[in-house]
Amino acid sequence: MNTMLETSKPAAPARGAAALPAGRDQLNGNPVGFKPDVITIKNLRIEYRSRELGSQKKLAVKDLSLSVHAGEVFGFLGPNGAGKTSTMNVLLGFVPPTSGTANIFGVNVQQTIARQRLGYLPELTYYYKFLTAEELLRFYSRIFGIEKAERERRIDAVLKLVELEHARKRLIKTYSKGMQQRVGLAQALINNPDLLILDEPTSGLDPLGRMKVRDIIKRLKNEGKTVFFSSHELGEVETVCDRVAIMHEGELKVAGRVDDLAQQHQCNLEQLFLKIVGYQPENL
Amino acid sequence: MKTNRAFVLLGVLLLVVCTGLAASLDRWFMGWQGNRAKNFNPLNVAIGDGQKIFAGQFYRKADVYFHSGMYPSIFDNNASFKTAHIGEDAGATGSKNQGDEANYLGKSHDIVEQFSRNFFPSHHTHLDEGGVAGELGDKSDVREILPWLKIAQELDPEEPLTYTVTAYWLRSRMNKPHEAERLLREGLKALPDHPALQFELGRIYFENQKDSARARNIWEHAVKSWQKQEGVKADPDTFILEQILTHLAKLEEEAGNLPLAISYWEQAKVYARKPDVIQQRIDELAPRKLVPNGPP
Amino acid sequence: MKNSFAVAQLVILEMYRRKDFYVLYFLTVLITGLMGSVNFFNDPKVARYLKEICLALIWICGAFIAIATTARQIPAERESRTIFPLMAKPITRGQVLFGKFLGCWVATCLCLVAFYLFFGIVAAAKEHDWPVGIYFQAWSLHCVMLGVVIGMTLLGSLVLSSVAANITLSVVITAGILFVGRHLNKVAAQMSETAGAMVSGLYYAIPHLELFDVRDLIVHNWPLIGWSIWGIAVVYALVYAGMLVLASWLVFRRKSFQ
Repeated sequence: MNTMLETSKPAAPARGAAALPAGRDQLNGNPVGFKPDVITIKNLRIEYRSRELGSQKKLAVKDLSLSVHAGEVFGFLGPNGAGKTSTMNVLLGFVPPTSGTANIFGVNVQQTIARQRLGYLPELTYYYKFLTAEELLRFYSRIFGIEKAERERRIDAVLKLVELEHARKRLIKTYSKGMQQRVGLAQALINNPDLLILDEPTSGLDPLGRMKVRDIIKRLKNEGKTVFFSSHELGEVETVCDRVAIMHEGELKVAGRVDDLAQQHQCNLEQLFLKIVGYQPENL
Repeated sequence: MKTNRAFVLLGVLLLVVCTGLAASLDRWFMGWQGNRAKNFNPLNVAIGDGQKIFAGQFYRKADVYFHSGMYPSIFDNNASFKTAHIGEDAGATGSKNQGDEANYLGKSHDIVEQFSRNFFPSHHTHLDEGGVAGELGDKSDVREILPWLKIAQELDPEEPLTYTVTAYWLRSRMNKPHEAERLLREGLKALPDHPALQFELGRIYFENQKDSARARNIWEHAVKSWQKQEGVKADPDTFILEQILTHLAKLEEEAGNLPLAISYWEQAKVYARKPDVIQQRIDELAPRKLVPNGPP
Repeated sequence: MKNSFAVAQLVILEMYRRKDFYVLYFLTVLITGLMGSVNFFNDPKVARYLKEICLALIWICGAFIAIATTARQIPAERESRTIFPLMAKPITRGQVLFGKFLGCWVATCLCLVAFYLFFGIVAAAKEHDWPVGIYFQAWSLHCVMLGVVIGMTLLGSLVLSSVAANITLSVVITAGILFVGRHLNKVAAQMSETAGAMVSGLYYAIPHLELFDVRDLIVHNWPLIGWSIWGIAVVYALVYAGMLVLASWLVFRRKSFQ
């Protein structure tokens, strides 16, 4: 039985976008309204080998096919253990897929160049505590091969965006949790990426911090960036996402536009989510 | 409030009791043989008499320095280094060496070993002869063995060989008789009436201070000490007695007391490794004994 | 290569900001100073023991800095999760690994420069001599030797799960090779045929770190080693370090980060 409730159009084939220069010119020449796929996942299967003797392989993701279009904010949802992080790990090249393919800008994620136009914010990460924010950003921008003059300009811009200008020369170990999360966002933006992968970007932040992160995501969307993010905050997802996908037990259960899903299932996103994960309270 | 005062009073009481106990135990502790704190040497405090096992290592280290770092390991041919040269050259030990000192490494077994010989000292040299390649060194470089001998002596103050060897090099090769005398006196505190130490002290009086009377006294005392300490043993160490008697004989010869000198030579002959040489000396002295105040 | 240099620079910056080196340097200066103030029979010219003690401390500190710094690199990246944002950048695992190796090695070599400068001052104060050639040979051989140790520790940090176990094992292997590596062939000759063949194989397979220990030559004022011999030794160490980094890469490229 096919449990997938796909309501969106089939994913458009990859158009070799990686060969195009960075920026938004890649849309030129295409029919009006056409949005090339930034992320293309086909029949992705991820298995983990257990370290315990005699135990079987653990299936984390089962035959996942998904595409994320350029310029959209895509929410990747699911309860803990649904396979979200495993999928992200494959997209970022941390884990090789057991089978299937995953491409970013038409380039296989196993290739380093696939990450050239990508920004990534992990859920909880402690950055090099012996560095200042400025030094951290300088280090990452060197890896992106950004020229020195442009590098300094970008550092100024992202630090201003995340409101960390005043603390740019302070060691990261002296930062509060919120400040560390903002440093994380700054490093994810240092290369002016066309695709942002955010793993629980508002996790552990106070309401003000969450609002700021939401504002930044909206601003990025307005700039035409593609944002792919996972979250447990369904209200937040509903507010900022164009499309969502809900995973459960390694399988993609539903994917589509937030409005379309609400219309089709006659419920809001939270209710749909609970239905999919099998939670059935009396009042639902 | 009352409870607080009670606690303070109890604390003061305990402090007084502790201080009293410490004061009463201190006298006993300072006199106690097992008190390591009498010594400021941290190694002694930490491992006590166990430090003596390191003393031999440092004595050997001095010999390594004597050879400018060239020395066999336990995996090499050790036969040629059975006696530390610093002791042998000091006349403190008889030679026990059997192998070829200049070539203890032998032929190299493989290319790695052949190559490795470029990276460590592998030529036999002696510091008192100028050390590495002779012209590069200086005979006074023999001073470099002193720190290790000093450490060996500190670690095992009851090892007479360390005192006699150090005193020899200080006295005869570094022109430091005062330091040598001080060291030997220190040694005699740890090893009262030790004949080898007394003999070495006598050499300082006789050879450096030209004080025959003091030298005679201490050597005569050394002979008695030897008889008391070694003479009673089934297998006594006669090497040192022979040296004392030989030096006493020479001293008496110089003083013109030929009968006494001959008597010492006669005694030395009993323990000598080459009695015929001594007999030859006795034969030379015998005719002069008859001529009072004859030429030496 | 620029990515590896960026990672290497990070490691050097870490070393510069950590206290390990400063503490070890201060201890070396303190112990050498204390030993230098000891009076041995009123002879102020006694120098070699001080050179030996100072060099021994430098060797211990150098090994500690190299092993401790390298052993924590990859595990610390994983533990503090900094590996995730790093690997999400356009950088290969090989570049990260080589950068880590390079950073640890250059940082250790820079520490050794500071240590050997101090040694030079101590030796010159006692002997009024500054044999630059032999000091350079000793420093450079020490550096390439630690390159092999760093390669070995880096491999250990990928194979062993515990940093402490890796440090212990690296110290034991390094010390073992330094003390008995040169004599394994003699040991093999005294054993039965099978055991002897195994020990002999080990003798040829291990990196002969003891070759690079030329402290005795410095302490006892021996002449320079032939430059061709020095060159062969340097190449030998670099090739060995390269092999270890390659082995580390083979392990690291298969690691998955979860």
